[in-house]
Amino acid sequence: MTSHLHLTVNGRAVDLADVPAPERLLDTLRWRLGFKGTKEGCRSGDCGACTVLVDGRSCLSCLTLTHEVEGGAVTTIEVGPEDALVARVREAFEKAGALQCGYCTPGFVMAVAGLLRERGTAAPREEFLEGLGGNLCRCTGYSAIVRAVDALRTEVP
Amino acid sequence: MGAFELVTPATAEEAVAALQTLGPGEATPIAGGTNLLFDLDSGRIAPRRVISLRQLPWRTLDWTGDALTIGSTLPLRSLEDDPRVRAKYPGLYEAVRNVGGVALRHRATLGGNLVRASPASDLIPVLLTLDADLDLVGPHGDRRVSVDRFVQASRRTDLRPGELVRSVRLPEARPSAFFWQRVRPANDISQVVVAAAFSPSERSWRVAVGGVAPRSVLLPESAAKLGTGRPTPDAVRRAAESAAERVTFVTDVRASEEYRRQLVGTLLGRAVASTVAAEGFPR
Amino acid sequence: MTAAVRPDAGVKLDGTAVYGTDLDVPGMLWAAFVPAPMAHGRIRSLDLRGARALPGVTVIGPEDLPRLLGPGDRDLERPLFASGEITYRNQPLGLVAAPSALEARAAVAAVRVEVEPLPIVADLESVFPEWPGSSADASPHVAGHVRARHGNVESEFATADRVVSETYRTASVHQVALEPHACVAEIRGETWYVRTSTQSPFGVREDAAALLGVPEASIVVDGTWVGGGFGGKGSSFLEPYALLMARATGRPVRLALTYAEEFRLGRTTLPAVVRMDTAVTGGQIRARRVRLLLDVGNSLPGRDFATGYSIGFLLGPYRTVSFEVEGYAVRTHKPPFGPHRAPFAPQCAFVVESHLDHVARELNLDPEEFRHRHLWREGDSTALGQKVGPFGLALAFEKAQATARQWRTEAPPGHGVGIGCGFWSTSTGAGGEVRLRLGPQRLVVLEGEREIGSGSVLAGLSAVAVRVTGLPRDRISIEYGSTAEAPFDSGVYGSRTLGALGRAIEEAVVRLRRTLAERLGARGQAELSVERGEIYAEAGERRAALTVLLTEEERASGGVVADGRHFAPGGTIDERRVVAGSFYPYTDFTGAAHVAEVAVDPATGAVRVVRYAAFQDAGTVVDPGAAQAQVEGGVAMGLGTALTEEAIWSDEGRLVNDGLLDYRIPTLGEIPPISVEFIEGFAGAGPFGAKGLGEPPIVPVPATVALATRAACGAHATELPLSAERVARALKLL
Repeated sequence: MTSHLHLTVNGRAVDLADVPAPERLLDTLRWRLGFKGTKEGCRSGDCGACTVLVDGRSCLSCLTLTHEVEGGAVTTIEVGPEDALVARVREAFEKAGALQCGYCTPGFVMAVAGLLRERGTAAPREEFLEGLGGNLCRCTGYSAIVRAVDALRTEVP
Repeated sequence: MGAFELVTPATAEEAVAALQTLGPGEATPIAGGTNLLFDLDSGRIAPRRVISLRQLPWRTLDWTGDALTIGSTLPLRSLEDDPRVRAKYPGLYEAVRNVGGVALRHRATLGGNLVRASPASDLIPVLLTLDADLDLVGPHGDRRVSVDRFVQASRRTDLRPGELVRSVRLPEARPSAFFWQRVRPANDISQVVVAAAFSPSERSWRVAVGGVAPRSVLLPESAAKLGTGRPTPDAVRRAAESAAERVTFVTDVRASEEYRRQLVGTLLGRAVASTVAAEGFPR
Repeated sequence: MTAAVRPDAGVKLDGTAVYGTDLDVPGMLWAAFVPAPMAHGRIRSLDLRGARALPGVTVIGPEDLPRLLGPGDRDLERPLFASGEITYRNQPLGLVAAPSALEARAAVAAVRVEVEPLPIVADLESVFPEWPGSSADASPHVAGHVRARHGNVESEFATADRVVSETYRTASVHQVALEPHACVAEIRGETWYVRTSTQSPFGVREDAAALLGVPEASIVVDGTWVGGGFGGKGSSFLEPYALLMARATGRPVRLALTYAEEFRLGRTTLPAVVRMDTAVTGGQIRARRVRLLLDVGNSLPGRDFATGYSIGFLLGPYRTVSFEVEGYAVRTHKPPFGPHRAPFAPQCAFVVESHLDHVARELNLDPEEFRHRHLWREGDSTALGQKVGPFGLALAFEKAQATARQWRTEAPPGHGVGIGCGFWSTSTGAGGEVRLRLGPQRLVVLEGEREIGSGSVLAGLSAVAVRVTGLPRDRISIEYGSTAEAPFDSGVYGSRTLGALGRAIEEAVVRLRRTLAERLGARGQAELSVERGEIYAEAGERRAALTVLLTEEERASGGVVADGRHFAPGGTIDERRVVAGSFYPYTDFTGAAHVAEVAVDPATGAVRVVRYAAFQDAGTVVDPGAAQAQVEGGVAMGLGTALTEEAIWSDEGRLVNDGLLDYRIPTLGEIPPISVEFIEGFAGAGPFGAKGLGEPPIVPVPATVALATRAACGAHATELPLSAERVARALKLL
């Protein structure tokens, strides 16, 4: 059974017909809507590469049925400069050199943006760093990512 | 993963009906989906109908004094974020915030964790020490059952055909603690866990251990050895020894049976110390 | 600290960078392997009819190959599909393609294969429960055998003050690049065209030609952005299959692995057992015996390189008077051994360092002074008789000692500080070429290597170009071209990029500057600069804007062109010391000495790294940000090898932990603060004496953590990884 689905993706309304019930948000974004920025890694919720925001909160899109986010607002790495928070996170990552191959980067940017939105910069550092335990990186060893997060936390919110 | 229909009932009655009208294994509910989607992908289950619980009014946190009723589809992150949960049920807070990662906890639910009844669940041992009850709705009405009776073995619970978990009731705020042993500091499945709680009204301890076969269990003998208040170091030692003797630990890719057994004593000692230091422990 | 400046940051931060897994071509079919259901067996029948009957599905089995393959010479030892005997679980038996991923999986499920089970050789112990005797090299389970010796080994052992013998075991570890292998292939007229995530586009072309029986010239490989390589994407893998299916269907074909398949089919470091015997007299190492059993999975007999290469890392970086080494590459029913980052060297360093530390302690000698004394210096001879080139390890070790002394005074109870060191040899000598084009506005370096993430291409080569041209960074572009467009390069592996292509750039720039000087009527090389927004060249008395010096044709095509290449054969070993098999000389001697402070939980055995310092022998640091990033990344990966990573194979040859939950790579919370210091001045083979840094940082990490753990709690680890349970056992908690 498939049916109509309505979402907002990066601020734009999206109406989809014929989305099969088993379809994952990850696949809808990548293959149906062409938003390839969100990456497919493990497909089992263990690597965080597929992290997007749904209604401002981080979400593992590989473990989410698209129909379950009906009516929701999805934010991906492709969101434009109008999302000031994501823009700040991008800038902090670029300044800190917090990426190498870049495959984990969209997921990390979304996870960091989600944490900032949820917790604000005043939350304890440990909470931020623990909160990123679900995002794997194999290239940077995380040190530069931590520097990016530290820089974000010391900015005026 | 095969095709299925997804229905999104607005009321508990509709949800129960959607569940009940198909045969066993043909219909399954989905809350956060973080366990269910694995099972679908691996082919372990192949339902014709998946019943989304997202429209049901079960994302609730209701306080009656310090007693707490948690709606079964409340995301774990909401539980974690509540400062009163952290203060009144520190063991639960500690267990919840260690389930997976933040993004996972935005979807994962208490109900889903209970129904999956994994021997590696972090939440079930804590709920056992809090004397939690489950409120179930089903085709033959509502009923209440203790977590201890509800969880039987891996993937086996007392849930009857057509039934859903509506909420989890914690009757009494307790100083409590949860200690785990696993590989990573976060986002990992535990090898063995110990939950401890002290009931101020009964002046008695509860101790539960997880990472054991066939299911997490309360250890009343260990709890009894801890006494009626702050235990002596000797009492803690005896409780720890008793804990290690009583249960059958799992051997798997994460740890051997021997290692888990060895750790129970240490974790129990730490859990007791932390409980004694928690708010609400009688001075 | 300088952050790495990454020109690729923009496209990676806005989601527009296209990786292999993102490739999406209209009309594309989705392909999937038909996997062998057991690790060893004889195929009785392969029934593809059920799969073929499904709508839109194409299936290729062994019987279809003759009509699809090319007429040229093929590597017959490496058939694309198993057709008689299955030799590892999930080995490809065939390939399906369907209009969607779901339908491809359904097609695979519809294949019926009957296999007669054969006994499974799952691990080293089942082939050699004891150390093999002298006739072992005749065993069908042996893919390679190496042996070398020098000096008076027997008499040294017989007359030694003390002989210390130990056995070590190391686990299988996986590269775990976050992006699984993926490619899309199409047939365009006469051209077999594939876009793929790979470390080596030219390597893929060469290998695909050999497997498909078509000339290299008819294959074009175009690399996408790569989501991590670490050796796992160093050679062809999926591409020949995708190309074949493109030929069979006339459609573009996507072939990508799921992450579970990445683990199950991955060609990587496999388990090993090492026996070390060391004879010490008068406080000096007089003789060493090293025996290695290396699981090489399904590797082909006679094609093993791993064993001879690895043995060298079990002998160095310490002076050895007399030695005897023997290594067996043992075949088991697993996928073949493949390169990881600094393949097997971190495991070797763990063994060497732990053993020599132990030897010193057994003799009541200071373990660090003992090792330092025996370290190679420039001019020393390796065990195989090669002269050690400029080598900064002794200095790195001394700096590590100073840090360790400081940390020890500060470390609380239950903490321990340890030093580990090691060396690596980069593959700088393997061939690479570049083509430079200098126009009025910018210098473009066309090269055939994709930036896989380390920064060696976009940052490192940029930095080299800046140094040799004098032009500012924003006037230099490093451009990647496919195998049809760019000059040849061996690929990104062996930490060779900066060295090989850096040297090639040097050569090309020299040519360019000479050409411009000539056009200015002068001798020598022209100087380049930017003035009034344009590039200028100056030589002798004359100075001119570049645009003036270009020919009509050059102006039209973008600028004056110069080529450069680099290919340097390595050093030589003393072949008289070789008794059997092949050993390999080193190109560069790159050292690293690290310090770790760890805390060990005495009740659980859990090891936590509290802080870490890395001293890297770098020759010359060309791009400080990228260099720092490589050390941080290499150390983190090494911490995984040290503490948590272990691929566990069952007796049935099944990978038990085939996912990222139970194959644990480090997470953010597990990485300590890492301080990095580069030791410059011991020149390497690269431009300005640079030494490659992609791999050296990982080499000493497990050794460093192991020795710090011993210092913290007395547990002497002889197995990797140092899981809490293993440490608990070593502490006799169990």
